[in-house]
Amino acid sequence: MTAVVASDIRLRAGTQLWMEGYGSMLRFEMRNLRTYLTIGLVIQLALGAGMTLMYGFYFGDLDSSQVTFLVTGIPTLALIPIGFVMVPSAIMEHKLHDTYDYVWSLPVPRLSSAMATFTIFAVLGIPGMVLALLMASAIYDVDLAISWSIIPAILVTSWIGVSVGYALGHVVPEPRVISLITNIVLFLVLLFSPIVVAIEQFPDWWERVHHVLPFWHMSTVIRAALTDGMVTTSVPSSYIVLAIWGVLAASVAALVVGRRG
Amino acid sequence: MTAEAASPVLVTSGWFGAAAWMRAYRVMLRWEIFGSRLLYPILIVSQILVGAGFVIGFGLLIPDLDLATAQYLTTGAVVMSLILVGLVVAPQLIAQQKMEGSYDYVQSLPVPRSAVVAASMTLSSLVAVTGIVAALSAAVWRYDVDLSLDPSIVPAFILTLACGSLLGSAVGHALDNPQATLLFTQLGILFIIGFSPVSFPMERLPGWLSGLHEYLPIHHMAVVVRASLTDGLVDPTFRSWFVLTVWAVMAALVTGLVMGRRR
Repeated sequence: MTAVVASDIRLRAGTQLWMEGYGSMLRFEMRNLRTYLTIGLVIQLALGAGMTLMYGFYFGDLDSSQVTFLVTGIPTLALIPIGFVMVPSAIMEHKLHDTYDYVWSLPVPRLSSAMATFTIFAVLGIPGMVLALLMASAIYDVDLAISWSIIPAILVTSWIGVSVGYALGHVVPEPRVISLITNIVLFLVLLFSPIVVAIEQFPDWWERVHHVLPFWHMSTVIRAALTDGMVTTSVPSSYIVLAIWGVLAASVAALVVGRRG
Repeated sequence: MTAEAASPVLVTSGWFGAAAWMRAYRVMLRWEIFGSRLLYPILIVSQILVGAGFVIGFGLLIPDLDLATAQYLTTGAVVMSLILVGLVVAPQLIAQQKMEGSYDYVQSLPVPRSAVVAASMTLSSLVAVTGIVAALSAAVWRYDVDLSLDPSIVPAFILTLACGSLLGSAVGHALDNPQATLLFTQLGILFIIGFSPVSFPMERLPGWLSGLHEYLPIHHMAVVVRASLTDGLVDPTFRSWFVLTVWAVMAALVTGLVMGRRR
């Protein structure tokens, strides 16, 4: 008896076992969500190219700086739905199929399970985002000046999106409320956010709201990494706001993961 | 025994005639309202938000908004409310009934199936109207657009609504897989909002796409509704009315065929 107990205790601790748990959860989630992830990738590509064309139709004649603005907003638009929409929906799938409690009951550290979800969706965002950007710049024939700072810009954007989506998916029990929230977020991001247009076009009070929300800051750091001299506002202060959002969202997600149900 | 035999005959005779149809229609209307009483407030609120949000949101995004663009946006939002309710909301409601398993039950009720379709179309028209009022109020408040309604508003609205709802119900009833219906409606939304000349002039689309829109109903819906709401923005041709009528008749036929199908 004592031997069994002792081996149980060893099973549940240590970096190596954490890594093993992470590895198996990565495989588990990838196989579990493979259809969903494929569809997600296709939608992301269609959305990226579709949005570029669509905004073009609505805007009419654009000068070259407006076109560059539009094209460099596309990667942000492609990344946000991954975290804010796909992650909570993936968690909802577990709840609807009654596999949610099963996943939590697996003998792996919860944090490794959470990190596996994070990894999958963060990686999923990148190829779609790159292709959307390539298509957008090909459609409008835009020259980009890509710098190394694109890496932290993308990382922080995905991190916030996936953490907020993860916390949302676990905290809100009702699937319909989740889909309502994700639809409102999409509406807000597509129509009421200064991602593809300059923030000066918005009324003052709404501009101030966007200094607090993460969306405008996300588009600012990504645009700054893709162009030269296009962004006139302070990039470091955008990073500071994003860092605060990242810490907050991750703390909420961590609380949710640690909660006993 | 004779009394028992007589009563089914009585019920059967109650099936025919305009009065019986109207009674069935009223019953189904009540049925729909009570059956979906949680859903309709959500639909109405989202119609109001989308209608007003569309007019204001795109107004914020479009650089240097002029009056013609604002008029296009406003009338486009009206057209979208009319189309989306029929083409998107109706099939989703039917798909939901199929998923919950209440679809076959409704089909088995002793009422004419045309009364079922008419009742759900009536309610979706009411939902559409709230979106239209919201869009028009938002437009008048924000852009001072000049609206001049003329009598063609009546046939334009009715034909657009009927065409959209009939197409939507044809799709909803014909597709047995709710997932397929959902996919169709999502792609439909993207196509109507993004790639149809509803809220922007047709000239901005590439040639092949505008050629396609000459034969699809969406552009013609937009033309007749826009002409009935504004002065001098567009001139509806006979062709628009004709194409819309053909689509409405075709959709009605398909709905009729699908609904009349015995299983």
